[in-house]
Amino acid sequence: MRKLKKNASPILEVKRLEKYYGNRNNLTKALAGISFEVHAGEYVGVMGASGSGKTTLLNCISTIDNATSGHISIGGKDITSLSQRDLAKFRREQLGFVFQDVNLLDTLTSYENIALALTILKKPADEIDSEVKKVAKLLDISQVLDRFPYQISGGQKQRVASARAIITKPLLVLADEPTGALDSKSAQTLLISFQQLVDKHNTTILMVTHDAFSASYCNRILFIRDGKLFTQLARGNDTRKQFFEKIIEVVSLLGGKIDDIT
Amino acid sequence: MTTLLKLSFKNVRKSFRDFTVYFLTLTLGVSIFYIFNSIESQQSIMEITDNQNEALESLSQLMANFSILVSVILVFLMIYINRYLIKRRKKEFGIYMVLGMERSRISQILVLETVFVGLMALVAGITLGVLLSQGMAVVTAKLLGAGIANFQFIFSLIALEETIFYFGLTFILIMIFNVVMMRSQKLIDLIYAPRQNEKLKVPHLSCSVLIFIISIGCLALSYAIVLSGGILTISLIWLSAFSGILGTFLFFFSLSGFFLKLIQQMKSIYFKNMNMFMLRQINSKIHTTYVSTTLVCLMLSISICTLSSGMGLAKAVTADIVRNTPYDATFSMNAHYNYDDDSYSSYPIAGVDLIEEAKRQGVNLKSFAKTYVPVRYYDGGVPPFDIKNSAGGTMGTELYYIKLSDYNRILQAQNIEPVTLTENSYAIDSTTANDQWIKFARDQISEKTISIGGEELHLNPSQVFSRALEVSGNYSLDLIIIVSDDLLAGAPAKRDLLHIQYLDNKSRSEDLVVKNLSNISTEGVDNRLETKILVVEKNSSTTTTISYLAVYLGVIFLIASATVLAITQLSEASDNVRRYKLLHKIGVDERLINRAGFSQVLIYFGVPLVLALAHSVVGVVAASQLINSFQGIDILGSSLITALIIVSIYGGYFLITYSGSKNVIVREYSRQEKEE
Ligand SMILES: Nc1ncnc2c1ncn2[C@@H]1O[C@H](COP(=O)(O)OP(=O)(O)O)[C@@H](O)[C@H]1O
Ligand SMILES: [Mg+2]
Repeated sequence: MRKLKKNASPILEVKRLEKYYGNRNNLTKALAGISFEVHAGEYVGVMGASGSGKTTLLNCISTIDNATSGHISIGGKDITSLSQRDLAKFRREQLGFVFQDVNLLDTLTSYENIALALTILKKPADEIDSEVKKVAKLLDISQVLDRFPYQISGGQKQRVASARAIITKPLLVLADEPTGALDSKSAQTLLISFQQLVDKHNTTILMVTHDAFSASYCNRILFIRDGKLFTQLARGNDTRKQFFEKIIEVVSLLGGKIDDIT
Repeated sequence: MTTLLKLSFKNVRKSFRDFTVYFLTLTLGVSIFYIFNSIESQQSIMEITDNQNEALESLSQLMANFSILVSVILVFLMIYINRYLIKRRKKEFGIYMVLGMERSRISQILVLETVFVGLMALVAGITLGVLLSQGMAVVTAKLLGAGIANFQFIFSLIALEETIFYFGLTFILIMIFNVVMMRSQKLIDLIYAPRQNEKLKVPHLSCSVLIFIISIGCLALSYAIVLSGGILTISLIWLSAFSGILGTFLFFFSLSGFFLKLIQQMKSIYFKNMNMFMLRQINSKIHTTYVSTTLVCLMLSISICTLSSGMGLAKAVTADIVRNTPYDATFSMNAHYNYDDDSYSSYPIAGVDLIEEAKRQGVNLKSFAKTYVPVRYYDGGVPPFDIKNSAGGTMGTELYYIKLSDYNRILQAQNIEPVTLTENSYAIDSTTANDQWIKFARDQISEKTISIGGEELHLNPSQVFSRALEVSGNYSLDLIIIVSDDLLAGAPAKRDLLHIQYLDNKSRSEDLVVKNLSNISTEGVDNRLETKILVVEKNSSTTTTISYLAVYLGVIFLIASATVLAITQLSEASDNVRRYKLLHKIGVDERLINRAGFSQVLIYFGVPLVLALAHSVVGVVAASQLINSFQGIDILGSSLITALIIVSIYGGYFLITYSGSKNVIVREYSRQEKEE
């Protein structure tokens, strides 16, 4: 099992992050001052009841949405104060994002969808080709590369989307319930792929999930309640089964509402 | 840049379904624009007189002016389509941005696409326009009465430049619009775009029924105002237009709800086939589309009105020409008109003997005339009825008295039976066909008597005529009172006319008439020469102008309305797929689903058309009321052409939309089968 590099400076640092929705009369505190750190090579899960602010958190970290207050540093850089242009640069160079509902372009083949991320980075064509093939092999989607999204299964689609997210070798991969729409077999394949990315390629992953099984693949779990960090749980040297049981315990402590699908 | 180019090219190619309508509309817009701006160059194949040339020039000037209006309409249409296309692609742009593409580059993609599609449409549209304008030149020549000198390829550089200029401007505006629209979008809204559209505020069904009844009330009010002749009062026009538009809006707002409620009462229909699904479907969608449906219906009404009344008017003008040229020429002497103080000098009391005058000034009438009929109009005093304000204020200009013998000589020249007057009676001729006026004369003038030469005369109601008495190029209404000769013996003259029939060589006679008669001038009076040939030329240019303008604007509005419908329906098709798939899954026969899809598109295209037809009938009635002061409109003849134009353009868009949305569904079926 991997040792956490506590001494190195964190890849992701979230400080007193707040996000409010609505107006004065009808205010929702989706995030209420949450703080935590993620280090390089970590595989961190985020759990919490429906409406606890998980998606909001990921949207803020990925700069898809703006936080109301607080700071987010990625690779030592505070991203809450970046300009539009720098944000785009940051997203294409440092970040990978996997959505719950896939978000592939249906006018492009799987191959082209994956290559798009490198195209935007202006990589040379021959490099793109070898990279796409490499990452497709890693995620076991080589055989569907020339098909369009509507010609492949949900699990394959999610792996194509994951391939697109990691092909640029980002500092941080953010995944919002990537297994949410998948059957358990496809979900497991995806989770194993993620684990391999972390183990073999030193990728850092922050993954929102609502089910304890998916979470048990992580090194560490952050539990969120009402937009705040409720508690966290590190896997340490536990086996996956032991970790799974610990997660279940915390989940029941949280109020057992965690299985509500968002 | 090359990858961007590839990406945008790919997008255009792959989403061709969405772009088909965009492309088609642009191409049609460009070609119509080119055709109507290239009219002037068509003279290269014609054999035309100076008058016809002048007509052609003013026609093309008018088209150029209206082209500005047309380009404004097209700009709005293009922006509407673009807004839709961008909306549909929000997610795509969101993904680009999440992957780190800069907004400026996304804007570049949009600009490239606009340029790309724009250039293709420009080339296709101009090609189509050049081809069609060859055929149109023949039509123009025919309408203007010009001969065709030699067939040759017509190409108008000016039209090309104008088309490129205006559409270039349009594309630039679209680009600016797209870039601004892109800039104002937040990334989170792009990514989670579909979620937002789910909020639907469907009014309660019984509320719909109430609104529907109100809308019918509004429409009825609007129609009633028009049909009862209220269109002649400005404030009522506004009320009618306002309640018509409001009624249309409320109609579409409540129609589906009303219908749903109605059909729900008829259980056997409601639960038959896919009716329940379809009605619910339309009811849920109408609330995102009622504004555009209202717009479509109004544009369609404008289009149908313009096409049918425009062409009807042109036909009526032509019919009038035949009627208003009973001779080859009419030469007349009239009281001198003073422009300075807008008054007439007095006409010589004894009149002017035109035949004597011609002889005196060395004009030999026999050199061009087979026959000629001199006629004198007299001033018989003011009649006891107000002709200017009779029959709804639409009445005529001048009142003359004429001797019965003169009148009968005119009739004889036209091969019409002579008129006899009974004791103490007079006849009246309105010179212009106008049913309203004849009715007025029969009902009201006949009650009053006129006094002339010491006798009281009354109108014989069976002797109210409406015959053209002279060659005339305008539609001013002269009122002629016919009395027996002796009563006008001492009356002052008011006007002298000489009606001429040419010798067999008409064009030679025409030349001589124009050259000689225009030179006959008499101190203190104005002469006027009207010849059949000149009137026909002038009028064919009028009819050409009216019908071309009607077709130009009518077709543009037609395309605009069909495009809005097509775009709305096509972009809904993919939203509907989810529902159709569900139906398929629960075992509904595919044929039934297809039929439901067809009916849906049909209803969306049909309902606005039906209401627009109703609007148009009323609109055309209104138009004929406005124009009727000098003539009626032949609606029936033109409605056939109008129907043809509508069926081909509107029907074409309907078919494209239907096959387009069917393709989406078929494609989705194949995806579904794959997943199972
Ligand atoms: N766009 C929005 N406008 C208003 N409230 C929102 C919006 N997005 C999320 N919320 C609210 O913020 C809270 C957190 O939402 P979210 O982050 O989506 O929760 P989770 O993903 O954990 O289920 C919820 O109460 C939700 O209703
Ligand atoms: Mg969520």
